[in-house]
Amino acid sequence: MKSVDNVVLRAESLTKIYRRGVEEVRALDGVTFSIEEGEFVSIVGQSGSGKTTLLNLIGCMDTPTSGTIEIDGHETSRLSDRQSTRLRSEKIGFVFQHFGLIPTLSVEENIMLPTLFARRAAKGKASELLEQVGLSHRHKHRPHELSGGEMQRVAIARALINSPALLLADEPTGNLDSTNGEAILRLFTDLNRAGLTIIVVTHNPALADAAHRQLNLQDGHLLLESQL
Amino acid sequence: MLVTLLKMAWRNLFRRRLRTVLTLAGVSVAVAALCSLLSFQQGYQNGMKGELERLGAHVLVVPKGCPYDAASIALHGASWPCYLKEAYLTQVKRTEGVQTAAPVLMNANYTESGEAIVTLGVTPEILAVKKNWLIAGAFPTSNGEVLVGSAFAKKHNLVIGQTFDLPGSAGISLKVCGTLAPTQGADDTYLHLTLADAQRLMKRPGELTHILVRLSDPNEMEGVVGALRACEAGMEMNIVPLSHLFNTIQELVNSMRLLLGSVALIALFVAGAAVSNTVMMAVSERVREIGVLRAVGASKGDVFALILLETLMLCLIAGVIGCLASAVFAPFIEFWLRNRLPFSPTDTLVKPSLTLSLFCLLLTGIFGAIAGMLPSWRAAKLVPALSMK
Repeated sequence: MKSVDNVVLRAESLTKIYRRGVEEVRALDGVTFSIEEGEFVSIVGQSGSGKTTLLNLIGCMDTPTSGTIEIDGHETSRLSDRQSTRLRSEKIGFVFQHFGLIPTLSVEENIMLPTLFARRAAKGKASELLEQVGLSHRHKHRPHELSGGEMQRVAIARALINSPALLLADEPTGNLDSTNGEAILRLFTDLNRAGLTIIVVTHNPALADAAHRQLNLQDGHLLLESQL
Repeated sequence: MLVTLLKMAWRNLFRRRLRTVLTLAGVSVAVAALCSLLSFQQGYQNGMKGELERLGAHVLVVPKGCPYDAASIALHGASWPCYLKEAYLTQVKRTEGVQTAAPVLMNANYTESGEAIVTLGVTPEILAVKKNWLIAGAFPTSNGEVLVGSAFAKKHNLVIGQTFDLPGSAGISLKVCGTLAPTQGADDTYLHLTLADAQRLMKRPGELTHILVRLSDPNEMEGVVGALRACEAGMEMNIVPLSHLFNTIQELVNSMRLLLGSVALIALFVAGAAVSNTVMMAVSERVREIGVLRAVGASKGDVFALILLETLMLCLIAGVIGCLASAVFAPFIEFWLRNRLPFSPTDTLVKPSLTLSLFCLLLTGIFGAIAGMLPSWRAAKLVPALSMK
């Protein structure tokens, strides 16, 4: 059930501990925050501060050691693997620094991949998204035939194919030059203006500043939230 | 969904071509070995059955000595090392349960080119044994007349009424009184004379090489064989029930089949392990990609199905190649086996068939599924967040 206060994501006392033999690493420690529908939030911090861990927990790619995450009214730590897969498929779109395109599939097939696992037909939607990211002419190409910027645009189109409630991006401009980085930033801004909730982990100041709000992490703790 | 998964699995197979080709080769060899072995088993059994059915007799009476050698000569045609007295025939005919006893005197001469000319002296009683014979013309009734097998007639361009010199035997002229329709057996190459004429020409008066016996009731085999052995001439003859002969030869061949079967089975296990290892390596190389698939909504089951599909595809392609190789190399395998078997029928020994090939493919699929379980399971249980690192 959807929250009445338009909160699309609520994290409460989120803690993630990794164990390396006898050593205990607290990647996240008691992180609490919430994100409303239509917000554009950036997560910043130094390497090892827990940004990607937080993004993985939000994206149901991992489970917290303690604490809770609620996405669109669903408490994710109580979900089975099947349920969290379904939630990921229906509510969340992922964009990665390394693009994560499947090299054996064409651009169009990569974009349609999430619909395959969601058992949906979305050929028309794929064409629309291809047009939106300006790659209609490249739909039959394989990822290795594209530039970094084009690959990231394909990855964004793939993340949007199932009309997610949340777009999660992990260093989306990390592997791009400044021109392509700016293009991705503009695309994110446009998508957010169209109503999409975006959470982006980034070291890119321009992308971080483009967000409405920044969550600053240090050593697994949420230091401060700054409204931009 | 299935089409896209198939497409993905197919393309994934060829990301490491050399590795895939080597694995395919290993599995193909194992499948070819299995398919050839099964083809041999079926071909041999059918060939033996066919050969014994064409002989038409339930019991073979041969001179003392190795009954299997004697049976082999009777079935394939050659000169005999020892003979039966024609007088024993009367005792065989008198034995209770014997419906027909057809005496035969067999001899083989060789031409300068090495062709074996097998002549048989027979009486009209043989017609009651060889129920599959279709004769054009007449059965020989007097000296110099010959009933010619279809293959011999074709090879030497003989027609009814024609007189020819018996190849390999100087000064013997024979007149074709009839020809046999093809029997698909050794009879096609034989020349059938009257018994008296054959005894005269071979200088074996009053002698036979074997007697073909049909029983009134084949279920009474044990009783009749006992009675034949107990008759006055019983000590001078070997009574060979052909069903027993069939079973004994099968047992002899079984040991060879067991050996080959073990090799094929070991090869299949090794190939299965190689497939498992190959797919496991492919999974290790694609951990991050599997993480991406999980991130975009693939369930554990989807990942399991994708990897299993890849394994199955690999095995089935290898299966098809193996079955085709088995069909292509069947004549060579037949040649190799024929020189090593204690007894082999004239029919094709290694007979690949569609049913056998489909069975081998099914078996390969099952092996593939088993081999693919471990890598598929390992891929499915990867934690998405960890595999993305």
